[in-house]
Amino acid sequence: MALTDADLVARVLLDDDHHAFAELVRNHQSSVRGLLRQLVRADVSLADDLAQETFLRAYKNLRSFRGEARFSTWLYRIAYNCFREEARKRKELVGIDEAQLEATHDPQTTDPALRHDLAHALQLLPLHERTAVLLCCQNGLSHDEAARVLEIPLGTVKTNVLRGREKLKRSLAAWGPN
Amino acid sequence: MDENSQEDLLDARLREEAAYIDDAGFTGRVVQKLPARPVRHWLRAVILLGLTLVASVIVYFLSGDTWFIAEGVARFTLLPLPVIWLCAAAATGLVMAGGLAAALSKSGARLK
Repeated sequence: MALTDADLVARVLLDDDHHAFAELVRNHQSSVRGLLRQLVRADVSLADDLAQETFLRAYKNLRSFRGEARFSTWLYRIAYNCFREEARKRKELVGIDEAQLEATHDPQTTDPALRHDLAHALQLLPLHERTAVLLCCQNGLSHDEAARVLEIPLGTVKTNVLRGREKLKRSLAAWGPN
Repeated sequence: MDENSQEDLLDARLREEAAYIDDAGFTGRVVQKLPARPVRHWLRAVILLGLTLVASVIVYFLSGDTWFIAEGVARFTLLPLPVIWLCAAAATGLVMAGGLAAALSKSGARLK
């Protein structure tokens, strides 16, 4: 029988069991790496570095995981913090997204090869809306869980998801068959 | 198509976009970077005690099954008094230096 996240966390805490932690990494690596790839705009190498840092921080701070939230929610929070720190270092966190959106959002100017490309439409969303949509719509977090991950009010998350969805729908409709 | 089913469709497409990322050695690289597990205190004590016992048995047999400690003490008492004092002072200094080094390393570790 497969062990639950709670069982594996308990094993790591009790016996410093590296095998149990490896199992946790295996179970969550895809979703964490996927989220980070979307956040860093598909820079795979940077996303994997951040994912590695996420899991190492999770290991070091595992005692602070009290099991109130899902383990995956806790991991997403660490991953988002790693991303924010990296973005702050590169001074890319705020500003560029909006400018890029304005510059590239016109469906008429979009590369025809990218039409119907949901991934591309996602990349055009501003960071705060993209993150909220990714967490709630793609990774299945509730609004409340996403608010905890992003450390922002619940109402803001709901607004960001709503606006993000609207923009995605508009993009996909605009890129629809001529 | 109503608003809700449009949203469901969009969410479904988003989930489809999130394809599974193959591990491809990622977990191994993370585990390699984990800090090494410290040797447990009781295990360290058992190892030290075991090594001491083994060393004592070896020395006992190498000394020809004699009371090597008693013989050693008897020989030591035959040495001139200044040499005995010097040995005592050296032993005291060694113990003090060891204690000081242990205290410094502990306080250094706490400061980190």
